[in-house]
Amino acid sequence: MTTRRWLNGAGTWLAIIALAVILAPIFLSATPWPTVARDYLQQQGTADSGAINLVSAIYLGYRVFDTFGETIVLLVAILGTMGLLSQLEHLVEPAQNDQKALETTSRFALAQEKRRSHTLRTHLLEVVTGKVGPIVLLFGFYVMLYGHISPGGGFQGGVIVASGIVFLSLGNPQEGSFGISRPQVLIRLEILAFFTLIVIFSSGLITGSGFFGNPLADTPFPVAHIVLLNAVIGLKVGMSIGFMCIAMMGERT
Amino acid sequence: MIIERLLLLLLFLIGLYGIIGKKHIIRKIFGLNIINTAVVLLFILEGSRIGEAAPIADASHRAMVDPIPQALMLTAIVIGVCITALSLALAVHLYRVTGSFDIDEIRIRIHHES
Repeated sequence: MTTRRWLNGAGTWLAIIALAVILAPIFLSATPWPTVARDYLQQQGTADSGAINLVSAIYLGYRVFDTFGETIVLLVAILGTMGLLSQLEHLVEPAQNDQKALETTSRFALAQEKRRSHTLRTHLLEVVTGKVGPIVLLFGFYVMLYGHISPGGGFQGGVIVASGIVFLSLGNPQEGSFGISRPQVLIRLEILAFFTLIVIFSSGLITGSGFFGNPLADTPFPVAHIVLLNAVIGLKVGMSIGFMCIAMMGERT
Repeated sequence: MIIERLLLLLLFLIGLYGIIGKKHIIRKIFGLNIINTAVVLLFILEGSRIGEAAPIADASHRAMVDPIPQALMLTAIVIGVCITALSLALAVHLYRVTGSFDIDEIRIRIHHES
């Protein structure tokens, strides 16, 4: 048995060293990075898409197909996760069975009935998250809506909004008293956001710029397309990840 | 520049060790995340070699970093989150079915049942 374990360890290290030898030229390459694309984008990016932030000009302008695929992958991952988790009877063990955790937290812990699903939910956590939650939500919407002129964008803002939703759901005194931390509301909003996304993507067909085209390309405000897409994608990502976190925290869906 | 690259290679190999050297499933998922981070950082580092300003086209004409790796890594980060969530859900499911996170233990218990 010990020989076998020793052989396993040796095999692991052999594999790691072999991969290190293969990967070292990739990680340590000194090939000069091409500047053609950067120079083109610096000169033409803002004129093409209207966005000053060139990263959002790329992922919502030049490579919007990629973004569309990404939102679908996110949707599929959420569906798979929820499908796997919904087969379980109790995701989180009831707190009453866990004597040790109860003893450690008993000084700060909430009344018994609220502690059902969250052993470590204390007054401290509840007060802090409840107060910080709305501010985090506001900051998330700021990052989402200003993604075209400052660092940020739909995905980043969406993740911040998701943190805000999780904070609110941790911090509210009655379970589900905030509409936005209720799973049914989240999933409806997500469906709405995805539908809006498809409508915006196809709106280029009407003006003749094609699927994924920018229908406002000839107007004075071509950037409105990117702002709208950032907002919708942020909503969708925020709702998806918030929904997943709340489901993993053991709320019934 | 060579120090950062060596550290990133080390980070990648740590993640690989987590995946193939550890028996605990949650640790394997940590390893997957570490590999993801190493690759993301490598791309950002590569793109930042040709400039120093942020990729925001303002009035100043300083050389800025390449925005393309950043846009690509945005995708990679979101996909990484998806993979983590899905693999954690699978791990929880395996735990509920077999009662263990250890892959050897899981294999033994599945053989017992069949």
